[in-house]
Amino acid sequence: MTHIVVDPVTRIEGHLRIEAEVDGGVVKDAWSSSTMFRGIEIILQGRDPRDAWAFTQRICGVCTTVHAIASIRAVEDAIGAVPPPNARVLRNLIMAAQCVQDHVIHFYHLHALDWVDVVSALSADPAATATLAQSLSDWPESSPTYFAGVKARLKAFVDRGQLGPFGNAYWGHPAYRLPPEANLMAVAHYLAALEWQRDFIKLHAVLGGKNPHLQSFLVGGMATPVDPSSPAALNIHTIAVLQKLIAGARAFVSKVYIPDLLAVASFYKDWAGIGAGVGNYLVYGEYPLTDGANAPRYLPGGVIRGRDLSKVEPFAPEKITEQVTHSWYDYSGGDAAALHPSVGETRPHYTGPKPPYERLDTNAKYSWLKSPRYDGAPMEVGPLARMLVAYASGHAQVKGLVDGALAKLGVGPEALFSTLGRVAARGLETQLLVDKLGDWVDELAGNMDKGDLRIHDSDRWDPSSWPKDCAGAGFHEAPRGALGHWVHVKGGKIAGYQCVVPSTWNAGPRDGQQQPGPYEAALLGTPVADPEQPLEVLRTVHSFDPCMACGVHVVDPKGRELARVQVR
Amino acid sequence: MVAPARAPATPATPTTPTPAEHGGPLEPVYVWDLVVRLSHWAIVLSMLVLTFTGIDIARPFLHGGSGKAGFTTGYVRVIHFYAAQVFSLAVLARLVWMFTGPRRSDWRQFIPASAQRRRDMIGTLKFYLMLRPSPPPATGHNPMAGLMYLGVFGLYVLMILTGFALYSVSAYTSYMHGWQFLLGVFHGAQGARWLHHVTMWVLLCFAVQHFASALLTARVEKNGTLDSIFTGYKFLPKDRRKDDE
Amino acid sequence: MRAGADDAFRRELTARGVTRRDFMGFCSGVAALLALPRSAVGQIADALATKPKPVLVWLEFQDCCGNSESFLRASKPTAADVILDLLSVDYHETIMAAAGHQAEAALEKAITDHKGQYIVVVEGSIPTGADGAYCTIGGKSALQIARTVCRDALAVISAGTCAAFGGLPAASPNPTGALSVGDAVPGIRTLINLPACPVNAENLTAVIAYFITFGKWPATDRLGRPLFAYGKTIHDNCERRAHFDAGQYVEQFGDAGHRIGYCLYKMGCKGPVTSQNCPNIRWNEGTNWPIGCGHPCIGCAEPAFWDKMTPFYAHLTGVPGFGTAADIDKIGLYATAGVAAAMTTHGLVQLGRKAYDKRKAAAAKPTEAKPTESKAVAAKAADEPADKPTAGGAS
Repeated sequence: MTHIVVDPVTRIEGHLRIEAEVDGGVVKDAWSSSTMFRGIEIILQGRDPRDAWAFTQRICGVCTTVHAIASIRAVEDAIGAVPPPNARVLRNLIMAAQCVQDHVIHFYHLHALDWVDVVSALSADPAATATLAQSLSDWPESSPTYFAGVKARLKAFVDRGQLGPFGNAYWGHPAYRLPPEANLMAVAHYLAALEWQRDFIKLHAVLGGKNPHLQSFLVGGMATPVDPSSPAALNIHTIAVLQKLIAGARAFVSKVYIPDLLAVASFYKDWAGIGAGVGNYLVYGEYPLTDGANAPRYLPGGVIRGRDLSKVEPFAPEKITEQVTHSWYDYSGGDAAALHPSVGETRPHYTGPKPPYERLDTNAKYSWLKSPRYDGAPMEVGPLARMLVAYASGHAQVKGLVDGALAKLGVGPEALFSTLGRVAARGLETQLLVDKLGDWVDELAGNMDKGDLRIHDSDRWDPSSWPKDCAGAGFHEAPRGALGHWVHVKGGKIAGYQCVVPSTWNAGPRDGQQQPGPYEAALLGTPVADPEQPLEVLRTVHSFDPCMACGVHVVDPKGRELARVQVR
Repeated sequence: MVAPARAPATPATPTTPTPAEHGGPLEPVYVWDLVVRLSHWAIVLSMLVLTFTGIDIARPFLHGGSGKAGFTTGYVRVIHFYAAQVFSLAVLARLVWMFTGPRRSDWRQFIPASAQRRRDMIGTLKFYLMLRPSPPPATGHNPMAGLMYLGVFGLYVLMILTGFALYSVSAYTSYMHGWQFLLGVFHGAQGARWLHHVTMWVLLCFAVQHFASALLTARVEKNGTLDSIFTGYKFLPKDRRKDDE
Repeated sequence: MRAGADDAFRRELTARGVTRRDFMGFCSGVAALLALPRSAVGQIADALATKPKPVLVWLEFQDCCGNSESFLRASKPTAADVILDLLSVDYHETIMAAAGHQAEAALEKAITDHKGQYIVVVEGSIPTGADGAYCTIGGKSALQIARTVCRDALAVISAGTCAAFGGLPAASPNPTGALSVGDAVPGIRTLINLPACPVNAENLTAVIAYFITFGKWPATDRLGRPLFAYGKTIHDNCERRAHFDAGQYVEQFGDAGHRIGYCLYKMGCKGPVTSQNCPNIRWNEGTNWPIGCGHPCIGCAEPAFWDKMTPFYAHLTGVPGFGTAADIDKIGLYATAGVAAAMTTHGLVQLGRKAYDKRKAAAAKPTEAKPTESKAVAAKAADEPADKPTAGGAS
């Protein structure tokens, strides 16, 4: 039995530590620990709820829109503000663009190096690489000269002896299986995607002023004025700019990302049998297609249990609870309690080893993440959950995309419950959304045409128009999965704030019943060829797209925890 | 410091007051010299302008109007800055005069440095608390009022410095840029702005109180207090205690 | 530019798919951003082409990764890759291939082999509470890592407001005892603060390019911020400034003034009290910036902005003790009115009493010529028989 520690887990957002027991070349047990805490919900106490989105937005700079969206929805729910149709459309555009850009960055820049051996690309034949690329798609940048240029560039880089971010990695590991040409193609597209993401995200700059940390959100709507004839508003020129950016994204996703994904997947089909995880999937639903609380969503919400695609339960918010049995927090009613976020409480209480430390005591508390459960069961959230729920609900476009991908790889739907399934679902969702973006731009243009220029519900802007004491919840599907914010507003100020975040669902520790969280469950049975180079562990963990800063949060509506926190 | 009392060069012959209110005959006493009076009125007028324009700068209510080209806030700011110069110079002059002017403008009017003034201060406090029927005599400022004015001058200086700090932010090439060090003292421009704004309200409260007190004293005591800030003369009993003069 | 170096470099650039024209364009951009003369363009190009790649170590502590993401948006296409290639980024958790022990070893090697020569970029604040357990990497606390890595660095660049000033984790009540890099690690040789939430990638790359070119760091202000980026307020460079001066304001989000691009000052814009070059270089390759999309500036480049600039939609913070949402002007108005009312009441009482006393005195001694109540009472005040009503009061 070998005990391995991966800390820092790199190419993720935030600080994650994985400890695992490896025996006979496979993971027998695993623990996921988040090692960073900021206390943003404590900081939110007593502040203006209209400001909250800017604070929570800074929970994460990668998925830089998601906590802002969840926050404004929660506050709107509490105070009764109703964003007008243009605000809904603008938010849909921003959310979907976030998802598309985030997924592409994840695939190429955070995940690809687990599957692609950069050094092996040096022995590729550019002409053969061009042939391979052209057999996969009609993306124009696929000439032998192009790949020769990339190879030369890579060679110059390696020859200079300063490998920088590519230094000290697991190059040459037996688990790398792509031929040199596929590796070279992937490296070329790694660089191409770096350029592309910068270009595409201008969509966020147009609609949000800047990225990261867009600044056009408002409780009750959006700050971006809409007026076809004003140079200082979203106008007919903006519509053209948005359509052009979206067209470019569609081309890149369908001609580069998806072909690459399928090509890489075809070499790693065994990973369709690894990393299944808890087998329960939770989706809140996203992209409202009309206005109002019960508007239909483009991606439906629902719950799948035990990998049973024949049945989708409706999502019921009251079934969410959080436990702290293995988390560095105390509950006033005892740590065995499972509390709903609306009455959630947290007092950070670090009981782990004093840094610097070698190992965590995983029998005791070992993470800054809590253990969220739905109806008592651990749930996986994210693109795979969304694609599965949509697939099982009979979503036509999703069914087409999923069945098409399964057919191309020659595998059945059961292959989806795996590390590879997660990677594939992320790609398919990207395709789905990049195809949908244009519709929302059309809807925006249609509203302009009709003369509907409303962007904000001003009736509920002034705190005097709010109920004295109110509470609300905001749900959102972030790129990494189901996200919920709960807010309690009293006398115009925040009296309680709670977030239950995708990475908390996925990366949370064991609960009171010792049920492992999705990361921990997914790692069981993962092969590890060399415990000194646990590349396979990274593959499964990265397939969830960890976002740790998001996961860690605390709140205590009474502010009691402050006495417990040791400040210096 | 004891400049010979500037004898009134026969100012507009003070009208003889009716002595009815007082125990004895009254005499005109030249209390407020020209510098005191001029700086007082410069401060009053500039403060009126500064308050009006300052409120508009904080929460603009004067509008350029839709579609109209204008320079409303621009003018308001320019007026604010000129009024600020008047205010700053008046306060500076008065501060210098505290050390160079005649004794009733002296700094000792503000700081109860002598034992007598400290005793009188307690006496005045007792009078205000209605623990004694009449205040100790004072020709210029009574010691309590003097101390209050000291605080007010402190606020004036705070107002000037926060204003300079705010001005220095955009005074890229002017000598005023040197005041930027104040931004560190006031926690940045937003901190300076906050102090500037809150101090304005405190001073406004003072101004209301000051004006009302002056009216009241003039009406109740009939000693010419209100007139004195125009003419310089108060009418005081001839047999008054003169140890503070 | 030396001919040999020029040729070799040109060959290398061509191999990288970067044309000479792209590259010189990039260098001109850097020169323009730093307000350098045209003649400096050659010097920049020369330096970029011939100097060895400096080692850069990027540390993430209590962060959100937003500054790293911003760095990935660094513009000037193709030549931005030159910047990436130009530096040897030996440690950056978000982009590096290695993980775990191998990642730690890479950091160790970088700071040992290049002691005193490497540049550190820090993202995120450093917690001091709970013995550093609020942020650990590889079992070591952020504070331990920061002290080890930053002390032997040639220079430390604090990217973003969290690293520069403590930022969000340090916002009241600062639950984790978070500090800025400068406060957590005293004695850093050269510390450049690049606040903003997140840092604008253009400013970060410009500082690094300036250093590579001239071997020194750009001039900074009292807060360690380079003047080229933080030397003017947002307000003074704002495209909507004319509307401010004209008194044309947005009164409500979505109103006619908002649609036409009036000044956002009355919506709480903090542009007048925030120094940064947002309006000049904007964001995402000059595409837009927050005020450009109709939202007021939140002052994200200033120290303690989460406490000082909030509520974001109000001109000023409230009065301590009266709650954050308290309106200073309301309190001020009430206080002033209160004083006025108190003085009026006081005056009426005084005058009333005087009139009453006078009438009483007149009724009691109709023959006496000068009845004064003051004499009568003064007589009772044995300790101060000489007192006369004089210029008392408050004048």
